[in-house]
Amino acid sequence: MSVTPEELAAFADGQLDEPRRSAVAAGVAVDPALAAEVERHRALKQRLASHFAPILDAPVPERLTALVGGGEPRVVDLVAARQRRAIRGPARWAWIVGPALAASLALAVFLPRGTPQGYADPALAGALDRQLVATQASDAPTRVLLSFRSESGQYCRAFSGRAQSGIACRDSTGWRLQATAPGAVPGQGDYRMAGSPAAAIMAQAQDMAAGAALTAEQEQAARARGWR
Amino acid sequence: MLALLPRLRRFAAGLARDPADGDDLCQATLIRALEKRELWQPGTRLDSWMMRMMRNIWIDETRARTRRGETFVDESAGLSVGGSGGQEETVTLGVIDRGLRTLPDEQREAVLLVMVEGYSYKEAAEIVGCPVGTLNSRLVRGRDALLAWLGDGV
Repeated sequence: MSVTPEELAAFADGQLDEPRRSAVAAGVAVDPALAAEVERHRALKQRLASHFAPILDAPVPERLTALVGGGEPRVVDLVAARQRRAIRGPARWAWIVGPALAASLALAVFLPRGTPQGYADPALAGALDRQLVATQASDAPTRVLLSFRSESGQYCRAFSGRAQSGIACRDSTGWRLQATAPGAVPGQGDYRMAGSPAAAIMAQAQDMAAGAALTAEQEQAARARGWR
Repeated sequence: MLALLPRLRRFAAGLARDPADGDDLCQATLIRALEKRELWQPGTRLDSWMMRMMRNIWIDETRARTRRGETFVDESAGLSVGGSGGQEETVTLGVIDRGLRTLPDEQREAVLLVMVEGYSYKEAAEIVGCPVGTLNSRLVRGRDALLAWLGDGV
């Protein structure tokens, strides 16, 4: 009986349909060469499976879990993240990830009249002026995720709110919105998106920050100076 | 989606031939999946949908690198996937990694989807977007090349 290598592989993988399955099984039973082929196939499968097994048990990097809303995104060590990127050189995936982040951080923003174009409205500006990361109410309409200084020395704050998330930097006019994303609406089910805008914001903050996130004391001091 | 992350990382590491590149690929896949989440049909398999997306991103990336004239296989890098064991284990793991690296993408993805991820031929063919017979023959060619690389010492 003639058995093709493809049939034999399918047989070894339990993927061969009747009636060929029975025919090949009969052939394997009487032909040691065929039986050895099946065994080689299964042994390789076993070896590959155990080769890749450690990755299933390894902890998943936070940059991945944060994207799908696995827990609160922690305030990351901005300096370390920047250094890592510097060592690796330009991100090889920037051409994929970059546009996606840009899309989620839509720069267009609708603001009520009276607020200069591109600046935080009075409610948001008030929150950015007053709230400290360490002491803000956990149910505040807008929560500040972290504060940092930009390359140009401005104080910037990443925030997440039901209406809007984003990053704003303080200049002489007010809190200028550098990036905005949809609000973090608590959702349900597999496709819970709550973590995603925050993760995108945090990634953006890492790129903008000149150093580490401000400590609680530094934030307090910056507030006392009016964030200037 | 959170529960799928370990498997997505595993497939990405095999596809990209390097765990660090694999996590970059994984990240790109997650972002695209989140953007296109409206397109996923409830009732269909989320894992297959995401594997297909990952695989397509990888193909695009490979083509882009080829256009840019980059060599993306660093032959000198001895690497082990998640291996934290002794020296001997690392060496053994390296053999499989290097063997997989020698396979063309279409054979490597067939081997990974069937022999590592455990997809049926039909499911794997749908992820790759080719007929089942084609998937079957790519699997056999990839498997034989890998066995030859390993010197049959499976």
